[in-house]
Amino acid sequence: MGLLVTAWAALSFGAVSVPFDEVLGVLARKIGLDAFAEPSRQAEGVVWGIRMPRLLLAFAVGASLGLVGGVLQGLLRNDLADPHLLGIGPGAAIGAAIGSAAGGIQGAIAGGVAAGVITAFAIRRMSRRATIDPTRIILSGVALGAALFAWVGFVVFTADRATVPPMEFWLLGSLTGSTWRALGTAIGFLLITAIAMLASARLLDVIALGEADARHLGIDVDLVRTVLLIAAGAAVGATVGAVGVIAFVGLLVPFALRGVTGPSHRHLLLAAIATGALFVAAADLVARLALEPVEIPVGLVTAAIGGPVFLWLLSRRHDA
Amino acid sequence: MPEPAVAATSLTYRVGDATLVSNVDFAAARGELVAVIGPNGAGKSTLLNLLAGDLQPSEGQVVLDSVDIVDALPGDLALVRSMLTQRTPVDIPYTAAQVVNMGRFPHRRDQTNSAERDSAAVAEAMDRTDTSRFAGRVYATLSGGERTRVSLARVFAQKTPIVFLDEPTTALDVAHQERIMGETVRLSREQRAVVVVLHDLNAAAVHADRIVLMNQSEVVAGGRPREVLQEALLSEVYAQRMVVVDHPFRDCPLVLAADGSP
Repeated sequence: MGLLVTAWAALSFGAVSVPFDEVLGVLARKIGLDAFAEPSRQAEGVVWGIRMPRLLLAFAVGASLGLVGGVLQGLLRNDLADPHLLGIGPGAAIGAAIGSAAGGIQGAIAGGVAAGVITAFAIRRMSRRATIDPTRIILSGVALGAALFAWVGFVVFTADRATVPPMEFWLLGSLTGSTWRALGTAIGFLLITAIAMLASARLLDVIALGEADARHLGIDVDLVRTVLLIAAGAAVGATVGAVGVIAFVGLLVPFALRGVTGPSHRHLLLAAIATGALFVAAADLVARLALEPVEIPVGLVTAAIGGPVFLWLLSRRHDA
Repeated sequence: MPEPAVAATSLTYRVGDATLVSNVDFAAARGELVAVIGPNGAGKSTLLNLLAGDLQPSEGQVVLDSVDIVDALPGDLALVRSMLTQRTPVDIPYTAAQVVNMGRFPHRRDQTNSAERDSAAVAEAMDRTDTSRFAGRVYATLSGGERTRVSLARVFAQKTPIVFLDEPTTALDVAHQERIMGETVRLSREQRAVVVVLHDLNAAAVHADRIVLMNQSEVVAGGRPREVLQEALLSEVYAQRMVVVDHPFRDCPLVLAADGSP
């Protein structure tokens, strides 16, 4: 329901407003139906050529970030486990920046995936020694992330400004460059990793008992960790290559939902997919429309909304 | 003599310069309750972790039900042995019944298993540990003793031929200590090999078929309770004067700490 309302608003509003029946007209003609209002050429270009891929990419990125956050929080048994706090996002951004210099948006996504997987692997190595203390993994990730962002800057400032997006794109994220091509390149990575992560929901339920007992119940915890961290690295890498680092989605969405869905990871992860999609699409709508005609980075919106909401949830949990 | 269900040979476990378990041979047969006793830091828990496959021995080998555990897949191992640890986290989000139900997780691939058998095993395990009364309460809100019993019920529900229990009675009141030890004996009488680490020497004296006494990473004595629970040996190992008398109404020794140095 929320997703539909957001979709309608995202397709209708903007620099050029397209009436609702024309939006439906565009969509109907794309599936071969001659229904609703006959859209103008301009409406068709705006709705189908610009807004539709942007909306779908926002949905895909949000869904993936929400899912990854839920998986990492379950895997590390820690509410602070977030792909960007762990350093995966900043690490992926280095590869994506290098990739974009070499091969545009497709290069950025491929580079982001490769670097995301490598960063996840590095975190896996660090966490092997710190299995008892997830806080240490988080702290390492925060330090790692700060250092890695410096290297993103190094790549950005030495590269050709015309081909590599500016620093603010990598730090704050933006869906401005969303094209069908970007969506088509990213969606494969996002789908495959999503299947792997959803398939592990039952294992995460058992890991919630603690690593020792999960092992006694027959789960190869080390293997599950490795596979899921790599999946998370690839998924986050694809999102970073496509839209930069969007903060707070992976942290906030599963954290907020856990109290509603209960401890079942299947419910949590499915809800995180839907809520993450809605959050990013709605935030992008605000980013586009708030200061029109100037667009603000979508990461500013997610952080501006996400920060206070996170604090509110924290204070409420403390009272309970 | 049938092959023992648990058979470990020359187990040694080192971390850095410290040797936590040194050259230990250990065996337990189906139908047998073996208690491992010894002072703090003797290596009891480490031995149990080695037997359960949680730790890789620096030297030696562990065979459970004729399979070298190095070769066993985690999922297969979980159908052979279950384990109660002392390290269970307290922030588990599940209800007591959900935790116990996790004990059935290893059986999900067993073709002969069924939902009816799962729920029967869970109900039986909760009954035996006296945990049915708070089946619907969230684990994190239970007392320490209640949590131990819920974890124990999860182990019971797993229904493995080999059971390892690390101090199952430490957090329990006296009535529940008796009940849990009684159920532990019953487990072994169902043709399971049960290995239990105990601090309560008299619980070991009353309930164990065999006692293994550890001190400073080594096994220093093993045998029937009367053979192991000797005044001189216990006084030396615990560095505390110990007196052993006949239990007033049970056919076993009774161990008492006494005044004075060993």
